[in-house]
Amino acid sequence: MTDKKRYQKLFRQALLIRLVEEKIIELYPYDKIQSPVHLSIGQEAVAVGVCESLYQEDLVFITYRGHAFYLAKGGDLKLMMAELFGRANGVSKGKAGSMHLAAPEVGVMGASAVVASTISLAVGAALANRLQNKPGLSVVCFGDGATEQGTYHESLNFAALYNLPVLFLCENNGLAVHTTLTERQTYAIHKHAQAYGIESVRIEEGWDFQRIGDVTAGITAAMRKDGRPRLIEVITCRYKEHVGPGEDYDAGYRSRTDIGDWMARDPLCLDTELVAKLLPELDAEITAAVAFAEAGPLPGPQDLLSDIV
Amino acid sequence: MAAAMRSALTDHINTIIIGQGVTDFKGIFGTLTGLHREFPGRVIETPLSEDAVTGICIGAALNGLYPINTHIRADFGLLAANQLINMAAKYKYMFGGHFSVPMMVRMVIGRSWGQGAQHSQSLQSLFAHIPGLLVLMPSTPDAIVSSYAYAVAHHRGPVIMFEHRLMYDLAFNASQRPLVDDPFASRLEREGRDVTIVATSIMVLEALRASNYLADFDIQCEVIDLHNISNPDRGLIMKSLAKTGRLIVADTSWLGYGVASEVCRIVAETDPTVLKAPVVNLGMAPSPCPTAKALEDIYYPDLHRTIDTVARLVRGRVDHGVPIPSHKSMSDFYKHFKGPF
Repeated sequence: MTDKKRYQKLFRQALLIRLVEEKIIELYPYDKIQSPVHLSIGQEAVAVGVCESLYQEDLVFITYRGHAFYLAKGGDLKLMMAELFGRANGVSKGKAGSMHLAAPEVGVMGASAVVASTISLAVGAALANRLQNKPGLSVVCFGDGATEQGTYHESLNFAALYNLPVLFLCENNGLAVHTTLTERQTYAIHKHAQAYGIESVRIEEGWDFQRIGDVTAGITAAMRKDGRPRLIEVITCRYKEHVGPGEDYDAGYRSRTDIGDWMARDPLCLDTELVAKLLPELDAEITAAVAFAEAGPLPGPQDLLSDIV
Repeated sequence: MAAAMRSALTDHINTIIIGQGVTDFKGIFGTLTGLHREFPGRVIETPLSEDAVTGICIGAALNGLYPINTHIRADFGLLAANQLINMAAKYKYMFGGHFSVPMMVRMVIGRSWGQGAQHSQSLQSLFAHIPGLLVLMPSTPDAIVSSYAYAVAHHRGPVIMFEHRLMYDLAFNASQRPLVDDPFASRLEREGRDVTIVATSIMVLEALRASNYLADFDIQCEVIDLHNISNPDRGLIMKSLAKTGRLIVADTSWLGYGVASEVCRIVAETDPTVLKAPVVNLGMAPSPCPTAKALEDIYYPDLHRTIDTVARLVRGRVDHGVPIPSHKSMSDFYKHFKGPF
């Protein structure tokens, strides 16, 4: 694939995600999405860049801020929208909402709203692959805040001890809700993981999906050969508030100028020509998904007690 | 138990056993000894990381394995509680049925020789409170033989088995009864007309001991092994109470918000008029567990108290006339134990 074709392909994926998120913002005041939404706006490039090197059989564990990875890994947009609308024909029959997306058919193994709680699951999935001689990497996405949880340390240690093919993917947006990283951490994430013998790399240009794609390609290729765990820390930026459709630059913990540099490099903001070219088809896709969601049946009383065990 | 664990590995190629101490020479009270040599790679020793190890079990269960995770004390299961309650219990429901988490957690209830407050908790009601978790307390040879095998083969969700430490060294007479239809069901262990004792774990054995003694005084006890803490057999309990009208709940843990409370809820909701007298409950004293033996002996309900309780309830008066056997603590009876743990 030529560089230009590759750029356009990745751009399209990232733009779709951003437009989906912006559609959610547009719909939010109408109370159709009755679920907290943690939007991926600003962080799309990470998902798109990483998933470029992942196969369908690679298992990905995501977080409550999971729309980008859900879509980038191949999750169905219609089913996602129906899920946000709480419909019985949504991804999870309306029981998951935005925070718990999953698409097992393409390896999206679930999202948790308890920070860091899926990290050890990814290690277990890798252990299962190893013991059953199944190919496939286990990828776990988490934010900078998750690295403060004890279970993160436990998971790194176990994965390194047993040499498991886990890709620890940290989306470092510098925030845990409203608290900045320097208020919380004494360590550097990519250096800390090296203490366990886990090769780690930090990518500063988190807006650059091609760069993220290149680094991930190299790392995943190595992992498929040697089966050892790795860590990739990507610096990224959350444009919107922690949860919800709005912006909160007036709240005091950060200002719009803090991310001005970032937005000035974001291809989705800069390449207006390509955005204009792709907009009609992407809008159509999103509009169709919303229509699918609106038409979906509501779950009934018989669904309340189903699927417990 | 050792047979059940070996069968889990031989009968199912995807079973793994994982936890601290699963490969050492003690083998979790002899239930796993040597299995790591016999099944290399499938009996996995872990760092001290209960939260992550539980998550590892969940992730492995999502991807084709059946993990059996052990906690040599139920108290350490509290470190696993985040994963068990927030993840394992909810992973199927929260994703609308996309996933199943078939796995087993074995938690050992410590008791005696100064185990103390943090090595003696019996947490069945804590976990049974959570929809999505199945809690069982196998306490008879039949239950042990059938429940573990059935769970590994058929139960596609997380199951927590509470095992009592004092029972590992008991010699049971394996019964000649045919195995029951439903290995997860509450069981009628002894029939009697005068009182219904609903018991869990080692209290089933205590209730049977008391029943044998009291039979000589024409007090006939009906003993129900609750076994399935999450789904007690409501019908079995009510049918028994319709006959006896008297209820004692004998549990291994504290009474408040526990198994005793749940059984009382069942009776109160179904038909409290079956009761001829208030319910009496036997359990731990409402304090953390002391280490001094003199205090341990009064912390736990023993044979002395059990007999006295039944006699009072059935005869309807404190001076019931049944001689109480000489005071013997449960650990004296079950184990001539000289430590270390």
